[in-house]
Amino acid sequence: MTREGVLFHAKHAYMPNTLGYCGPDEKGVIQDGLEEGKPGDGMVRALQRFEAAYPFLRLIARNTGREVFDYAVPEAYWIGNSLLDRVPPPDFYSFSHRELQGKDQVKVRDLFKGLDGMAKPHHSFYVMSTYASSSELDGPNVENDSERKLGTLIDNCRISWGTVQAVGGGELKVRSRPVELSGGRLALGEPRFRSVRYNRAVKPFGSVKKGDVVSLHWGYACDVLNGEQAVNIARYTRWDISRINRYLASRR
Amino acid sequence: MCIARVGRVAEVSRGRARVEFFDGRSLGDVDVGMVQAKLGAYVEVFGNLALSKLSVSEARARKRAWDEVSRKGGQG
Repeated sequence: MTREGVLFHAKHAYMPNTLGYCGPDEKGVIQDGLEEGKPGDGMVRALQRFEAAYPFLRLIARNTGREVFDYAVPEAYWIGNSLLDRVPPPDFYSFSHRELQGKDQVKVRDLFKGLDGMAKPHHSFYVMSTYASSSELDGPNVENDSERKLGTLIDNCRISWGTVQAVGGGELKVRSRPVELSGGRLALGEPRFRSVRYNRAVKPFGSVKKGDVVSLHWGYACDVLNGEQAVNIARYTRWDISRINRYLASRR
Repeated sequence: MCIARVGRVAEVSRGRARVEFFDGRSLGDVDVGMVQAKLGAYVEVFGNLALSKLSVSEARARKRAWDEVSRKGGQG
């Protein structure tokens, strides 16, 4: 376990947990650990109780010979890196059947079949595939208002990225490209300016500045990305979108 | 991250609902307008949006699968 890996993971898991969408009701423990920069036992235990995120880390770790909280493991899951390429799709498929809570097994089978087995255990893929395999909405055939709601959900729930334009007391103004759903296809939209929350007490946000690229989750700036991470999140997100669009097309 | 959870609509008004999940937790202000869920309906929720409605038998099957994964240590 590395301190940096736990903190990186916690930064990205924090906001949906705060909103009540996943994980245990332990947001105080996670926030305190982030602000102190010290991942205590309580924070680690809380992160181990996330129903999907933690099993995904275990999947990546066991296929790459890493520890679960080795920095590269949560980095692979949330942002994307070469570790994702080392998880065999059959293992990901088996994992989705046997270890992942909340997944309908028939939908999982149909999804992997529609993708010809080409899938990576990347958070954005998980988000997009959950929408795409939703039976009632019939993937490509949803109506306009539903498309708008689903597009917003996908964009909030995936990890996105933005370039800081201005730094305020509790908010950053960033320029980012949303994922949009239109005509039953996902795509990265045109760049937009938006305001997101951040916590100056969490390193390195005390020194965040214009031009930094930050990762975003549910309208919250999670971390400042380095150059390689900024390239990777765009690369893996585009890959996820292309795979999901292929699956959606196969259902038409 | 979010997880797709199945639960029952416990309160609903103008397309927004409070949903009680199998694990005993609940979430208020879930948008159920897209699936037009009524009181007592079973829905699959992702984030704050209901993606689909489930029959009672489908919901029971999902609960069994959820419990099974929990027993095997799916929650880590």
